[in-house]
Amino acid sequence: MNEQESTKVLAEKSPEQQTSRNRSQITVLIAYVVLGALLFVVLEMIPMPYIVVSLFPLGFRPAIVVIAVVAAKRGPIAGFLVGYLGVVLEGLLIYGVVVTWTLPAVAYGVMGLIVGLAHYDLTRGRSLGKLAVLSVIGFVITILLSVVIGLFVEHYGTMVAIGLVLLPVLTMGLFTLMFLTPVVGRLWQLVIDSVKR
Amino acid sequence: MRFAVRNNKLFIAALVLGVVFGGMTFGNLPVTQYTLSVQTIDGETFNFADYPVLTHEELALFNYINELVTGQGYGSWEGWNAGEAFHGLLHYVLAFMAYATAEVFETTSGYRSDLYQNFAYSLIKKMNTTVEVYNTTSIQYTEWMHPSYNFVDYYWPEAGNASGLYVGGFRGPANIMWTAHYALMMALYERNFWTGEMNDELSWFVSDWNNTLTTDGYGNSKDGGIFNCGLIPCEPYIVFVQCNSIPIYCTVLYDNMFGSGYFESGMWDEGLDFINNDMQDQYGLFADGYYVMEPFNYTQPLPEALPQTFPGLSLDRYIRDGRPKVSSYCNAWSETFLEYVQENETKHDYPIFMEQFARDVANDQMYMMDSYNNPSGFGVYDMLGTLFTMALAKQQGDFATLARLVNFLYEPYNRVWSADGRQMYFDTSSFVGFLQVPLAFGYLWAHAPVNIRDLADSRPSAFWNYPYISQADDDGIWVYQAVWDNEKNAFILNVRADTAATLTFSNFDHVPTAYAGGVSLGALEQVGAQYTLTLSPGTYNIVIV
Repeated sequence: MNEQESTKVLAEKSPEQQTSRNRSQITVLIAYVVLGALLFVVLEMIPMPYIVVSLFPLGFRPAIVVIAVVAAKRGPIAGFLVGYLGVVLEGLLIYGVVVTWTLPAVAYGVMGLIVGLAHYDLTRGRSLGKLAVLSVIGFVITILLSVVIGLFVEHYGTMVAIGLVLLPVLTMGLFTLMFLTPVVGRLWQLVIDSVKR
Repeated sequence: MRFAVRNNKLFIAALVLGVVFGGMTFGNLPVTQYTLSVQTIDGETFNFADYPVLTHEELALFNYINELVTGQGYGSWEGWNAGEAFHGLLHYVLAFMAYATAEVFETTSGYRSDLYQNFAYSLIKKMNTTVEVYNTTSIQYTEWMHPSYNFVDYYWPEAGNASGLYVGGFRGPANIMWTAHYALMMALYERNFWTGEMNDELSWFVSDWNNTLTTDGYGNSKDGGIFNCGLIPCEPYIVFVQCNSIPIYCTVLYDNMFGSGYFESGMWDEGLDFINNDMQDQYGLFADGYYVMEPFNYTQPLPEALPQTFPGLSLDRYIRDGRPKVSSYCNAWSETFLEYVQENETKHDYPIFMEQFARDVANDQMYMMDSYNNPSGFGVYDMLGTLFTMALAKQQGDFATLARLVNFLYEPYNRVWSADGRQMYFDTSSFVGFLQVPLAFGYLWAHAPVNIRDLADSRPSAFWNYPYISQADDDGIWVYQAVWDNEKNAFILNVRADTAATLTFSNFDHVPTAYAGGVSLGALEQVGAQYTLTLSPGTYNIVIV
């Protein structure tokens, strides 16, 4: 049953059934957000290998893939919340800080929001490619927002913004999203399909 | 199979590329190569986690700087990346390297073979190189006689008036930024190794400071000393809180070691009063410099700015409205070294300092601005402020801040291990090569489980009778833990041997027996009054009783 059929069926159901279904969907969404945010924190806690080439780290940062995949599966609100809550929880649980009134977390939320705006069929290569591309676009916007927040709200140095935030975070993030997002997205779908079966 | 491949082309391509990319970028993972076991011997339980420990990386970093210090002549700077632009920083590098490694030595206080002692000794000698012997590679040249300083002859109260009190000279009372560090390096050497070799020279410096602070320089008692503020200048016209925090700390350590009463006599009372009341910014933090007299050829800043007064607080360079110059490195350094003598001030100032100078970069990273009057700037002094704040944060037990500062400073660099795996450093060559050595010892003072404050206490006299490792095949071992537990009368040794190695113990008054995993390894072999333990390659948690 595709999405349109699903909507049609939903419209034909009684108000009680619709309410029940809405509740169920909200519950699933909350579960995705909570688990996604926690997974984000756990992955951020694990030291990941990387190498530095002229101050730019190259390696994988798997945590940000979670934002993209949750957004792809559950839509923009879930994507935004995973990004936002994941970053806020990471700050609170690991370092005991809330950075710049959680504005950097909002920037990560925006990535989830952007990725979640499109529809995906994670069994298809083209859709996985779309996920990777939108993740990269969302991440670039996230980092640009982070830099703007750093420069105009946190007021840190321009060299810090460009040399130690923008470029290093981009070099880590872009390769991660290009390579890992399609892989994790597909594997996630496989797991869900096998659970459903 | 073909169908599956055809339908998952992108997935497979991304997976393969991801594996290749991940393989190419596999590096820089932290190394943990020791274990902390719990052993019970004759009903007594020894939990290795209860004793201070050095990590494998810390020891590898020490090996790296040891190669630079003891592996070459005192006047050589090969491998230090010490370009001409950094000549004025070399003596600081030596001094703070000595303080950071003193924390390492204290962590494994039962490991006192030649390795650590030779290192500390060589650092002191390197700090005291003269033009007469080492010409332009000497510290006397780089710190004092370099043409960009030309600190040669100075008089008080007018710098150029030879009829006044002579205060010039590399070792004189207007160069506290060298004399204090040199003396403290000697004091820590005696604290850690107790040879007596440095005592006379150390005593001379402490006595000289006392004269500077309590007399007019001609032998007459005078409040505020020669320079009227109870502090000692450098550069040589300015008194700095940070530079004076070193002799204050050194005086206390000297008193603690030798039972003298310089500090109790009030030698630094005027100076402490001056820095706590007069050398303050609007937040109650330390101001960065106070001119005691006008420098030669001083040029006032821009005409529209308020003029610098003499004597007077050094004025801020960014907002020229008369507010004092401030810096994070000044405050972090000062608070770290002054905490022992004025704990309440440091505890009070630390959160204010963090609020005014710290900048959040991300959850996992932050740095210290050089000056809160110039938040958009970033340069060497911001990095210095961050480096010094690591020591302060550790001393305050603020480990979350410490971790974030460490992440900021160290993540842009690769860990580079030597071919034999004995040495490691952070490769800063793509940024500022000179940072490589400071970051190496900076990592030690950020992570060693001993603080600067702890080192101001001398060791109890009984300490020198505790059993300790007096000789070892240092080149083939990693000593993570080595401490005498005086309550349980046992020596705790956590060691890895790369090759067969022998450790010689002194001060045991009986034939000791080594245990590993609670099982006896046998008695140590007696050689004269000492006992040796021979280890095959491997990692050991050993209790010797």
